[in-house]
Amino acid sequence: MDLRGEYLPLQGETTTADSISATLPSPSPGAKQGLATGFKKVLRTEEDSPSPFPGLLPGVLEMRVKEGSKIRNLMGFAMARMQSDPGDSGQAGLRQVVFTGSGRAVTKTITCAEIMKRKVGGLHQLTKLRYKGVQEVWESQEGGDAEMTIHRTVPSISILLSKDPLDPLEPGYQPPETQTALWEEREGADVPQPAAKRSFDQTVSEPQSKRFCPQDLQGFPGSSKRVAHKLLFCQIRLPCSVLR
Amino acid sequence: MADPRSQVSASVPQKPLGFSASEGTTIEMDPMEYTLRKRLPRKLPKRRNDVYINMKTDFKAQLARCQKLLDGGAGHREICIHGLGLAINRAINIALQLQAFSQGALQLAANTSTVELIDDLEPDDPDEAGEPLTRTRNNSAIHIKVFYPSA
Repeated sequence: MDLRGEYLPLQGETTTADSISATLPSPSPGAKQGLATGFKKVLRTEEDSPSPFPGLLPGVLEMRVKEGSKIRNLMGFAMARMQSDPGDSGQAGLRQVVFTGSGRAVTKTITCAEIMKRKVGGLHQLTKLRYKGVQEVWESQEGGDAEMTIHRTVPSISILLSKDPLDPLEPGYQPPETQTALWEEREGADVPQPAAKRSFDQTVSEPQSKRFCPQDLQGFPGSSKRVAHKLLFCQIRLPCSVLR
Repeated sequence: MADPRSQVSASVPQKPLGFSASEGTTIEMDPMEYTLRKRLPRKLPKRRNDVYINMKTDFKAQLARCQKLLDGGAGHREICIHGLGLAINRAINIALQLQAFSQGALQLAANTSTVELIDDLEPDDPDEAGEPLTRTRNNSAIHIKVFYPSA
């Protein structure tokens, strides 16, 4: 496993309350080096914090996205719950789901929400950001029962997706299938099609690759690849944006 | 995410790999090698109060830049912080830091989106440059409005 726990070495990333409450022989200045060498993270617990969405319906599905969670597992479960019909043997389809994740799982959390929005459609979204406290227990690799507990804060995200309308004035609200004013004035006319139409797992598509005319590149056989590549970019960018 | 080679082999007729000298022509033995080039994300709309967060610039510098936009002479009432992929975390971090420094004066409003990215697959051998291959993939992005609530 990767020993660089999230945010360990990145200077500046943990400027808030990154205190080390060590129950360890080694003093705290050396602690960071100690982590990089002989220690292994054995436990990571998130501190409880109140829900960022007060007043939600009880029984709302909360998907806790972890760093190693498989998107297909998460989505398989969440989609089944959101799509199931009242007629099915199970419960009625849920109206709301919350995806939460912190640290390195943040990107994955957003990806899950984006996939669900594309597949379900008509979902109202509310996004909340905050710091989350995390306790980590690190154990010495060199034998002995040296152990230290580290408290750190990591950014976390909570995304509420709802079939029922949400308060549009709430900061972080996003209406279904459109991009809000944050984006509109710049992308408005330019958005090719609703995101719902795109499939997520696009691979190489032949017709598309032919659009970017190859001939231009062949004009520079002698130049280094890097230069040729730059030229390729210059020539391609414009037509490409026109075509899209 | 996925290994670029696997994508290539899916779309290009598989050439015989390996350097089996027993084969006749030299061309056929040439394994198709590609370099993956990531293009810049399509079109970065940029007003003066837009900040695109990356993973190359120093964290503190990017934070300072945002702070300066909010106070400073420009004195924007709101700025937009954009982060793509790995930089999402940093974008959130910067937004939360700004909010913490402001002692509650600043509010955050985050939106998420999907950005389509294009990769070029360049044949390593310039003679093979017949058919440039591209691959599109999606990545998640975040757009955080950091603003002084007007009240």
